[in-house]
Amino acid sequence: MIKTKTLVNLKVNDQDHSIVVKNKETLLYTLRERLNLTGTKKGCESGDCGACTVLLSGKPVTSCVLLTVDCDGKEITTIEGLSQNGKLHPIQKAFIDNGAVQCGYCTPGMILSAKALLDTNKNPTEEEIREAISGNLCRCTGYEKIVKAIKSLSGNDCNS
Amino acid sequence: MNTVGKSLPRGDAYQKVSGEALYVDDIKMHGMLAGKVLRSPYPHAIIRDIKVERAKKLNGVIDVITYNDIPQIRYNPAAYPPTNVPGRMVLPKDMFIVTDKARYVGDPVAAVVAIDEEIAEEALSLIEVDYEPIEAYFYPFDSMKDDSLSIHECAEKNILHKYDVGFGDIDKGFKEADLIIEEEFSTSRISPAPIEPIATSIAMAHPGGDITIYSATQTPHITRRIIAEALGLGISKVRIIKPSVGGAFGGRHGVTNELIAAFLSIKTNQPVKLSYSREESLVCTTTRHPAYLKIKSGVKKDGSLTARTLDVVVDAGAYACHAAGVTRMMGLLGLSLYKCENLHFGGKIVYTNNPPAGGIRGYGNPQGTFAVESHTDTIARELNMDPLEYRLMHHVEKGDVNYQSGLEIDSCGIEECIKQGAKKIRWSEKTKSSSENKKHGKGMAIMIHISGTRPGLSELSTARITVNEDGCAYLSSAAAEIGQGITTSIRQIAAEALGFKYEDVKTDNYRQVDTMVDGYDMGAYASRQTFSNGVAVKNAALDARNKILNHASKMLSYDKDNLTIEDSIIKDANSKEELLKVADVVYDVNFKEDGQYIIGIGVSDIDGNSPPFAAQFAEVEVDIETGIVEVLNFVAAHDVGRAINPYIVEGQIEGAIQQGIGYALIEKLMVDNNGKVLNPEFANYKMLTSKDMPKIETLLIEEPSPIGPYGAKGVGEPGLVPVAPAIANAINDAIGVRIKELPMTPNRILKALQNKKD
Repeated sequence: MIKTKTLVNLKVNDQDHSIVVKNKETLLYTLRERLNLTGTKKGCESGDCGACTVLLSGKPVTSCVLLTVDCDGKEITTIEGLSQNGKLHPIQKAFIDNGAVQCGYCTPGMILSAKALLDTNKNPTEEEIREAISGNLCRCTGYEKIVKAIKSLSGNDCNS
Repeated sequence: MNTVGKSLPRGDAYQKVSGEALYVDDIKMHGMLAGKVLRSPYPHAIIRDIKVERAKKLNGVIDVITYNDIPQIRYNPAAYPPTNVPGRMVLPKDMFIVTDKARYVGDPVAAVVAIDEEIAEEALSLIEVDYEPIEAYFYPFDSMKDDSLSIHECAEKNILHKYDVGFGDIDKGFKEADLIIEEEFSTSRISPAPIEPIATSIAMAHPGGDITIYSATQTPHITRRIIAEALGLGISKVRIIKPSVGGAFGGRHGVTNELIAAFLSIKTNQPVKLSYSREESLVCTTTRHPAYLKIKSGVKKDGSLTARTLDVVVDAGAYACHAAGVTRMMGLLGLSLYKCENLHFGGKIVYTNNPPAGGIRGYGNPQGTFAVESHTDTIARELNMDPLEYRLMHHVEKGDVNYQSGLEIDSCGIEECIKQGAKKIRWSEKTKSSSENKKHGKGMAIMIHISGTRPGLSELSTARITVNEDGCAYLSSAAAEIGQGITTSIRQIAAEALGFKYEDVKTDNYRQVDTMVDGYDMGAYASRQTFSNGVAVKNAALDARNKILNHASKMLSYDKDNLTIEDSIIKDANSKEELLKVADVVYDVNFKEDGQYIIGIGVSDIDGNSPPFAAQFAEVEVDIETGIVEVLNFVAAHDVGRAINPYIVEGQIEGAIQQGIGYALIEKLMVDNNGKVLNPEFANYKMLTSKDMPKIETLLIEEPSPIGPYGAKGVGEPGLVPVAPAIANAINDAIGVRIKELPMTPNRILKALQNKKD
């Protein structure tokens, strides 16, 4: 008989989960439907819009085109894992302060892409910022205030 | 002003940056089933028979519905406000919940409800439909032919409505002209494409026939009415709850898929979620109408207009929806931009077998303004005038009649917009091309729009403010937050009018609108939400403030006129001496006297539509080898009346410009000659990314509306309206050719350059 389900171990937002998933199940589905982490958004299910961006071992990935079985043993950060004890991460705060949030649907993915950038490059140029979020489509803001928000963190240590 | 005019942080931002905000697709319910829609593969086909037995037998399928199961009630999904003007509302009812005949590739033919989406999807392949494909039309000029088949029986020659509107004496006007110029333009079908796909609904039928629907709608109350009528229910039996919405841009301006979800829930007596895929969202919900526009102007040597006609043919797509309203705006706003007494607007709105279209951001004005403002540059160049000087000389001004509304223009900041924008873009400085093949140019366009739908259409908005015993106010209103920031703007208006601190006014940042709880509001369209609802909120706040001060004057034995509220404290109006906390007054009212409660009620009593104006400027680089246009700089000077929250207002304009550049240069839903959309996903329906956007400079010009809240005018749509002609005019400046079709693709530019050479 062909095996259609697999037990996987995921570390999501510092919490360990051992769950049985379908082999063809996407990470987006697992996060939203099994772990109820609905902050990760479904926008296109083809990896084109970036609304479902999460960090896989610290790197931004589109969870709608990743199979959960391929993430076995990996560490995943979703938007829910960014704030600590109700205290927002500096990137989240910068988005609020700079008016970078409108409908909010691209926001979680956008913030995680920004985090991946700032984790490896503390002083990104505007060009590097625009490059880092170019996989995250936004239809509300023209990116103007999103870029400004990320720029405002340039030089800051966002993990302190 | 204490709160109005400040870029205060949005009320719902915390929820949105933390992932807590709930959108319809995030909501789960016990026993919730999943729906899926079977769609026609043919653009035009008679449905001879549908066999659903095999699908029904599939394990996990609860039911399948077709045309034979549904209420035989036709409806129109467009959220259009009621009107008392005869003939003003042209809304043919031409749709069923699932269709009786296939009219475009994607028309809903049947729907399945199953225990999960995967099974529902599988069941679709088991439904057997016997189609008889018939001749289909993808251009309005084809479907209008005498011998064409009817797409809908109600429309002769497939023309669903015509406009023939004149002002002054058009023949006399053209006779007086020194020069007559005529041009033709066309625009493309684009998707509003919010990042949250249109449409996801959850419907929950209750015993006794009531139904609750979670919908990402722009228009909760009007949507309620359309749903009730189409299901044959009383309006009060339908409850709409609108949680967070991931962008709308006109794409949720009415009913999307709520009726299918509702009917599936009624059939199964269980909650049903129906989520459209990105492809369904792009093809089977709503798009911007393609238009074919012919404009003819009679001008004097100084450029003044003696006569102007605008004739448009609009491709409605397969269903009428908003087409008549959109076309009316396309013509009458376009004709209201320059001083001219002799005008004529002719419009034909035609059914085709293309995807349906609706009331997308700008509502016809982007199409009309593309023609008018491209044409304005042609006139100026023909007369050897600077296009900027031409506009400064001939634009409409305060006191002129706005032909769209028939009202006098009550305030007009266009001159300031043109002047300040010109300065910012350095209009008078010649642009230098970076190389032989890369030509630079500058262009501009102006626009007039509306704030709401007065006169003629209802502008009902209501608000309720209750003040708690701790001195904090709850603001309840059905203003539809769709991402634009309305809940924050009205909170600022409420705080300002109450005299409260911003933090002391609260709105519901999760549920947002519930038609069973909140008073009536028309919804978020026509750039009306802050304008109309803001007045209702201000009135509610003044009502509550008045009640607080009445009681405070009794408590203090003080003349009420000598009292005021500032920073949530009751003060002597003159000396500003602090007398009492609002909390103390409210506690006293609520608990020490009988039958009193501080509650303020407000209704919008707005009686005009203060047109917002804008002037936009683009600097482009055109590569004459590849035809690629790059927008280098963009300046947008907008008369917003009063920016209640400047960040929010700028955000509206910046986002609209991004959509406008897409409309100008790259976006188009391509339909092949079998009616199939060739680019139904984001991989090939391209939108601008962060790397594609130019630098945008937004200038807020505040020429207050005499009727809007604190002078505010509508800002939601104007940003998009003049973008395409500003870029077209910049391209013309750069390479000396006029592109008259949208989008202005590299192919079209190369072709135009070739034609110029030949």
